[in-house]
Amino acid sequence: MEELLNEVVPQEDLERFERKYNHEHELDGEVTTETKFEYAFCLVRSRYTNDIRKGVMILEELARLHPEGRRDYIYYLAFGNARIKNYAEGLKYCRAFLEIESNDQVRSLEEYIKKQSDKEVAKGMAVAGGAALVLGGILGLGIAMARNKQKREK
Amino acid sequence: MTAAPYNYNYIFKYIIIGDMGVGKSCLLHQFTEKKFMANCPHTIGVEFGTRIIEVDDKKIKLQIWDTAGQERFRAVTRSYYRGAAGALMVYDITRRSTYNHLSSWLTDTRNLTNPSTVIFLIGNKSDLESTREVTYEEAKEFADENGLMFLEASAMTGQNVEEAFLETARKIYQNIQEGRLDLNASESGVQHRPSQPSRPNLSSEAAHVKDQCSC
Repeated sequence: MEELLNEVVPQEDLERFERKYNHEHELDGEVTTETKFEYAFCLVRSRYTNDIRKGVMILEELARLHPEGRRDYIYYLAFGNARIKNYAEGLKYCRAFLEIESNDQVRSLEEYIKKQSDKEVAKGMAVAGGAALVLGGILGLGIAMARNKQKREK
Repeated sequence: MTAAPYNYNYIFKYIIIGDMGVGKSCLLHQFTEKKFMANCPHTIGVEFGTRIIEVDDKKIKLQIWDTAGQERFRAVTRSYYRGAAGALMVYDITRRSTYNHLSSWLTDTRNLTNPSTVIFLIGNKSDLESTREVTYEEAKEFADENGLMFLEASAMTGQNVEEAFLETARKIYQNIQEGRLDLNASESGVQHRPSQPSRPNLSSEAAHVKDQCSC
């Protein structure tokens, strides 16, 4: 799973599908579902958060308007959200998918997101714990110094 | 029993391509898990699998990208062809149309990979003899004409699945040995991990000492 999420779209591919998207848009103000999906598929695999967000937006629209391709859109909505660490959103889409269809591909994405999200929580606790330790240390030092001073003054 | 991370000398990148429903994901599953996946849903976009194999006493990690066969993914999954050392091109022996589309899959592969990419043709579902629509001989001829390696296999029984993946790796390895593949080019689909200067390994060292002992 990690390899899939770490894989980055080649820049030239992203640009090619972006051109196709813009071209259709300029030509008749409309973009076909196919082109929208191709562009979003590249965007959610980009290395940049803003691209991924844009891809997620396009996929949300597609999922709303085109139920026939929904399983693909929902999977990549989970995927895109996972890549920008929106784990709660990602899990929401995995669960929505699994309610409709039993699927190992989605289940392994779900497991991966859960693991990552647990890791983040643990990291957060470690940071908080570390901060408490440092603070404790400073306080302890302060008290020790104050005592020292008292002793010397005596 | 599992291999330690980085316990390999090479990484080979593979792609699996072919029409929808020919059994690409089932072949991958059979190869990595040694199990048949019944009721396999359509792959969404692309899937990934990996396994470490051995060729000539060298450990090779296969990184396998399994592409969706649905038409809507055709254009976007072309990204994955780039830098593949091996391409497994699959058709279904019980559906003639999947065989007829091979030339288009082959054109994509030739255009998007490099000349040294090993292409292996797999006629899947060889267990379904009674509904066969493509003969072995016909496909063999197509493979020979186009310089492809070829086997009929069954993801269900596991017949020839191992062979197809391993034969591809052997051929890639042979290309490396014969200098036909430039390891430094990112397009080659092969990464070499020079084995680290071996740390003193107690057990092997002890074994060695024992070997020399005349007692």
